[in-house]
Amino acid sequence: MIETVLNFLDKSGINELNIPTLIMFGIVAVLLYLAIVKKFEPLLLLPIAFGVLLANLPNAGLMHPELFEGGHLDIIEIVDKGGLLDLLYLGVKLGIYPPLIFLGVGAMTDFGPLIANPKSILLGAAAQIGIFTTFIGAILLGFIPAIGFTIEQAASTGIIGGADGPTAIFVTKTLAPELLGPIAIAAYSYMALVPIIQPPIMKALTTKKERMIVMEQLRPVSKVEKIVFPVIVAAVVTIIIPDAGALIGMLMLGNLIRESGVVERLNKTVQNELINIITIFLGVTVGATANANTFLDPKTLGIVVLGLLAFSMSTAGGVLFAKLMCKLSGGKINPLIGSAGVSAVPMAARVSQTVGQKENPSNFLLMHAMGPNVAGVIGSAVAAGVFLAMYAK
Amino acid sequence: MNSLYEGLSVTVVGMGIVFGILILLYFILIGMKLVFYKDPKKAPVAVEKQEIKQDTVTADEDNEDLDEDELIAVLTAAVASSLNQSTYNLNIRSFRRIDQNSPVWNTVSRKEQIANRL
Repeated sequence: MIETVLNFLDKSGINELNIPTLIMFGIVAVLLYLAIVKKFEPLLLLPIAFGVLLANLPNAGLMHPELFEGGHLDIIEIVDKGGLLDLLYLGVKLGIYPPLIFLGVGAMTDFGPLIANPKSILLGAAAQIGIFTTFIGAILLGFIPAIGFTIEQAASTGIIGGADGPTAIFVTKTLAPELLGPIAIAAYSYMALVPIIQPPIMKALTTKKERMIVMEQLRPVSKVEKIVFPVIVAAVVTIIIPDAGALIGMLMLGNLIRESGVVERLNKTVQNELINIITIFLGVTVGATANANTFLDPKTLGIVVLGLLAFSMSTAGGVLFAKLMCKLSGGKINPLIGSAGVSAVPMAARVSQTVGQKENPSNFLLMHAMGPNVAGVIGSAVAAGVFLAMYAK
Repeated sequence: MNSLYEGLSVTVVGMGIVFGILILLYFILIGMKLVFYKDPKKAPVAVEKQEIKQDTVTADEDNEDLDEDELIAVLTAAVASSLNQSTYNLNIRSFRRIDQNSPVWNTVSRKEQIANRL
């Protein structure tokens, strides 16, 4: 009788509980608090937090990070020995989920404001400076022996500045899969913090007069333009950077499904059911990569600091470039729309709107800010393609 | 030190490529505008506009004495909310109807604003 109980206890995870695991439980509690009470990107942070919990439950065997180590994937071994989360994680590892999320994002995105004001696409490029400055920052931080980022890890950390979760995950799973957990958590947490991070930077870099600029009305965009746009962008970008093809291709397919108006059923599915299902799989499995061994590392701290730097630099880059455009256009462009170039759709555009309206209550910048905002999505996918082309083995 | 040098060169090349591609897309967008977009500010539309104006004016005259007080209350509230002020500080002395000539785009944007409750 006693022997049976002892046997049972031996198999249970209670014996395996140790300090690092308990610390991970604490992190889970914080993440769940942020998701549920503070409503920080709850759609992703909640499944991510629970994924962290599941992966750190001793003896549950839901996730086996060792199956994914090394460059080669042994599918048969994963099917044989893998737990539930290992099998779902294949979707991340094989690069299936992020492009499918982009399919849904494309179907939810209206590129009209960008087509109406082509200049705003340049702001989407300028705001990617955060990606590259953070990349350099990570290399510099790598000189501290305890942190020691490799160049691939530095690139993955930099891509947080794209303010685009799926893009960050897509790059990291290829270049530095061991950092997937901390990078995804940092990217989504900072995205939720955009309304807090951006306004002080926007205000510091602009004058009151600039913030009050009322922009000219956008022209109406014809349906033909909206249909031709995704086709051309997918073709042009993918021909030049094939590595960005999966993300941009799916984004634009989603957008064509939306704009064509002839496949309403598909449109509804990719905007709702499909993206929701993939979000659950992506969140849980990305969270599950954060086990105590890899997560409780000085690198995680570095990623948290660098992630903030990435968002701040991207915001500053966008605002400063918009300021330049404002000067060149003779004061027709409100520099506040520059910060929306970081992507984080539509949060960043809303921040431009709110900050603008504080100075001039009758100013409506939202639609003007949506241009750089959606351009930022294209910009960060291109930057991701650049990193993949240079460092993917 | 080598890695820092590499990082700097990747940054220059990377930003160059990002800008290059988006500038290319910029020119494509300009090209698309030239090919597919027709400016609606053409003569036939102007005529239509005038007709509408006529209609609005007659409609206005019919209701003129009906709910002027109510209209003034609505206008005061709208101005107060837009300026973030109390209605006590405002005094509507006169109002005049202007014809609706803001584009549909503008109207849609404003409706979206209200829907998002910003």
